[in-house]
Amino acid sequence: MEQKTAFEIQELTSDEYVLSMGPQHPATHGVLRILLRMDGEVVVNLQPDPGYIHSSIEKICENRKYDQVMPYTDRMDYLSAVSYNLAYALAVEKLMGLEVPNRGRHIRVILAEMNRIMSHLLWFAAYGIDMGALTPIWYAFRERENLITLIEMQTGNRLTHHALRIGGVKNDLPTGFVEGLNKFLENFNDMVDEYEALFIDNVIFKARTKSIGVLKKENAISYGVTGPNLRASGCDIDLRKLAPYSGYENFSFEVCSEKNGDSWDRCKIRMNEMRQSASILRQAIDTLPEGEISAKAPKIIKPTPGGCYAKVEGPRGEVGAYVVSAGTDKPYRVKFRSPSFSNLSALNEMCAGVKIADLVAIMGSLDIVIPEIDR
Amino acid sequence: MTVRELLEKIKQKAEIEDSKEDLGVLNAYVKPSSLRSLLIYMRDSLGFDWMSFMTALDMPQENTIEAVYELFSNSSKDSARIKVKLSRQAAEVETVSDIYRTAEWHEREAAEMFGITFKNHPHPENLILTPDIKAPLRKDFSGGDMKRMPE
Repeated sequence: MEQKTAFEIQELTSDEYVLSMGPQHPATHGVLRILLRMDGEVVVNLQPDPGYIHSSIEKICENRKYDQVMPYTDRMDYLSAVSYNLAYALAVEKLMGLEVPNRGRHIRVILAEMNRIMSHLLWFAAYGIDMGALTPIWYAFRERENLITLIEMQTGNRLTHHALRIGGVKNDLPTGFVEGLNKFLENFNDMVDEYEALFIDNVIFKARTKSIGVLKKENAISYGVTGPNLRASGCDIDLRKLAPYSGYENFSFEVCSEKNGDSWDRCKIRMNEMRQSASILRQAIDTLPEGEISAKAPKIIKPTPGGCYAKVEGPRGEVGAYVVSAGTDKPYRVKFRSPSFSNLSALNEMCAGVKIADLVAIMGSLDIVIPEIDR
Repeated sequence: MTVRELLEKIKQKAEIEDSKEDLGVLNAYVKPSSLRSLLIYMRDSLGFDWMSFMTALDMPQENTIEAVYELFSNSSKDSARIKVKLSRQAAEVETVSDIYRTAEWHEREAAEMFGITFKNHPHPENLILTPDIKAPLRKDFSGGDMKRMPE
């Protein structure tokens, strides 16, 4: 089998060399290889090489019935399974013309926002380790564990929740869930303040991330970068506000954005987003409506022929599902648009001319998840 | 902008073979030769600054592969789905990766998954798959060790 090579040896000048970072490199957060064209310690050019854990989920989906596809959608982004569930469910529901009851939509929002906080906390922990700070992980995992316990009460699973069904959610909120979430939210903002002071506002951390890995606004849009990475570059685009879904129009929250587009701004936005998510969770608990949690979906789902693209704002950006129906009980084609895929494609734009130690700081600030790139 | 208005506007700029409205989104089939000029026009003049993704659909019964470009406008919140019909035997279309940079990776993925050639692509090599697997997302793909999953 021929090896993929991004740079031909002839292209290199006499000072340059090729360095292969990964696939088993801890700072790539999974199995990702990056080919670096180096001049001493400086990155001249780079080429990400994903695909080491490709699991052909899109092909599997074509051979499964509509409801059987749902558990596969958990597996792409294991840090926020609900956002992929939601994108797929919204696409199929739109094809079927199914209306989700209010309580079901509310529970979806609660689970999605809990996932966002869980994902951002894990990013906070992992980024600390990337940067040589071991303290954040102990704090972040303590908070994350509380949320995982709550979600486990609701869905039975800790990571790949499989919480949603076509038409609504599987389970109603169990006894003690709302109390537990209220207890968690009581101190959460103080915790975020503390973490921010401890790590993000630390002088050493600022020196390593400020004006490192700058992504310009027009590049971010052209590369399809989404989520906190886009908002750090001065765009206040958030699908929860821009194209509300699942009842997000009923909640009041701010879209966090920054100006400079450097690594530090991306960190700052995630910390602010956790506060906003906590605020959405408080509103969602206070206004939780009574009623059905799921619409009556037929046992065998056969949507009318056509295509539908549904998108949601995941923790990393625009999570989308393009579902094409041919009128049978299996989808004709499912395409998942994963935010990390597009975010990683812009890496070269941020990294030209940086030192190799900064490359780790930039990659960590992008918050990529490899299984959703490979799918 | 309604679907009809959008269709009228792009009809003046490109050869539209066929079009339909699918759940409120315009699906326009464009001649491969006018794809690039249409996308440039839509990006610069109609405000479609955003390409969500680019992918393909295999239609063996019509002997075509459809390349699908999903566009979105962050200012007017309009969506549009531009499709190009290609022959299954010689699937070839010009790259749009210089118009929307995000298409570079999406086209590489579509190329290896569906066996499409994107002309003038800056990095035509595989992105995700190894070179020994050819076009697995085509409907008639059969790999050596591929087994049907139980229902």
